[in-house]
Amino acid sequence: MPFLAYGSYRIRYELAGSAGAPTYVLVNGLTQYAELWTAYRDALVARNFRVATFDLLGQGASDKPALFIGQDDQLAALHLLIETLGEGPIFLSGISFGGLIALRYAIEHGHRLAGLVPMSCFAELPPQLYLLGNALRTGLILGGTSYLQDLLLPMNVSDQWLKPVLDDLGAVKRQGWLVNDVYALQNLMESFLDFEPLTPSLAAIGVPTMILNGEFDFLTPRALHETLRVKIPDSSLVIIPRAYHAFTLEKPALTADLLARFAEEVLAGRWRGNKAVWIAPEEAGGELIPFPAGYDHLRAIPIQRVTP
Amino acid sequence: MSALFGPLDPGHRVPPRQQTRVAAFLVSAHGALARQYAFALPARFQSAWQTEMNAQVYREAEIVSLLLRATSWVPDLALGYMAASWEMAWYPAPLEAIPDSSMAMAAGLATLAHAVHAGIRPAALLPVDADADDPFVMALHRIELESSRLLQAQILLLKGPDLLPFRDALSAALERRHSEISRLWDDMLASVGITTVAAE
Repeated sequence: MPFLAYGSYRIRYELAGSAGAPTYVLVNGLTQYAELWTAYRDALVARNFRVATFDLLGQGASDKPALFIGQDDQLAALHLLIETLGEGPIFLSGISFGGLIALRYAIEHGHRLAGLVPMSCFAELPPQLYLLGNALRTGLILGGTSYLQDLLLPMNVSDQWLKPVLDDLGAVKRQGWLVNDVYALQNLMESFLDFEPLTPSLAAIGVPTMILNGEFDFLTPRALHETLRVKIPDSSLVIIPRAYHAFTLEKPALTADLLARFAEEVLAGRWRGNKAVWIAPEEAGGELIPFPAGYDHLRAIPIQRVTP
Repeated sequence: MSALFGPLDPGHRVPPRQQTRVAAFLVSAHGALARQYAFALPARFQSAWQTEMNAQVYREAEIVSLLLRATSWVPDLALGYMAASWEMAWYPAPLEAIPDSSMAMAAGLATLAHAVHAGIRPAALLPVDADADDPFVMALHRIELESSRLLQAQILLLKGPDLLPFRDALSAALERRHSEISRLWDDMLASVGITTVAAE
């Protein structure tokens, strides 16, 4: 298990695929760990990408600072990893908390990236997300990691995913419970206490950007992704049908396919963001279709868009 | 060596020798915290946060009481020597960088309590097939959950405005305490055939 040194802390990372290939760097969400990207690693390596996964500080097998950890530290750790990857094209993707770190990286070090894929992501903490975040933190404090997982699971995945595992949720939660420590998760969550909205800086992201949002994601709903679409110049928004916040767990084949297609388009010089809105196919390999013209993609009912 | 307790007995209980060592370690650590918090308690409270300190005393004592009754104890000759080394590690270590002696003492105690409450996860050693109705298993789950709640007092104090000017010294002392306690815990577990990821 290789590690990078960030000051006195160790960052656990894994590389797969050929050294000269374009690289995807994948950034975990809050309670995640690098092994959750295994299906992506396999799918992307098979499409001739190199894949870098790692555990953020405070997660998984990386060191867990006891008390003080900021999002700047996560950004620096990510920078350290990307610096080790050589000069080839780098595509950066992250989900939720990891998507936020990826956005910040693209704002500060965009020249180093060939493309960006924020997933289930946000640049601001509007009241609903702020209060949900606070409630999740309180849940963690009062009920431990297991209770936080109980709160997150129904937000993260669909009934179809949950139903077959409902009688054995302990097994589903066990690895996440084992590798996550309450104090370390709390430190990660409390790194939002001094959070400043990224919205004013999003225009600085000059790289091709594909924004992925689950159709039914009510933790980070469409409006939060709309901010990214409107502010990031060369972006498009892709809605993943029937998906919730953690669609990377529920639909790995489809999501990995979308990541690969995006990077292939960029590398071939065919990518045009155009701030377009797309609907992803149900299965990997299917066609993306444009969101119907004239209808409002921010609504859950088919209302025609009102032009200001 | 295994990363978990075991092999479990036919009733899916943790072997008594492992129970004895782990419980002895936890009794020693939480007992030390109970004693030190009890000594730090003033006879009459001046501040609201001292009510939390009062709660810490009794919750730590409850953990000790729980382990004394829920553990299948067996004679263990090595415990005398091991317990002596543990007790030395809990010895109060006021933070020298803080000029106010009572605050230095409180911060030192908080670093020890943080390391014990945050860094020691006894329930994470239980295999999935451990009998959930066994008192020792239940006790470990309870201690782990209670520790994460007790930890909040240490986090509030250590991240609070009173100690902000000493953040670097505090951070270094806390990381030292974590390493020290984690090493003792790993060594004790290794002595009963359990290896943790950190110790690998």
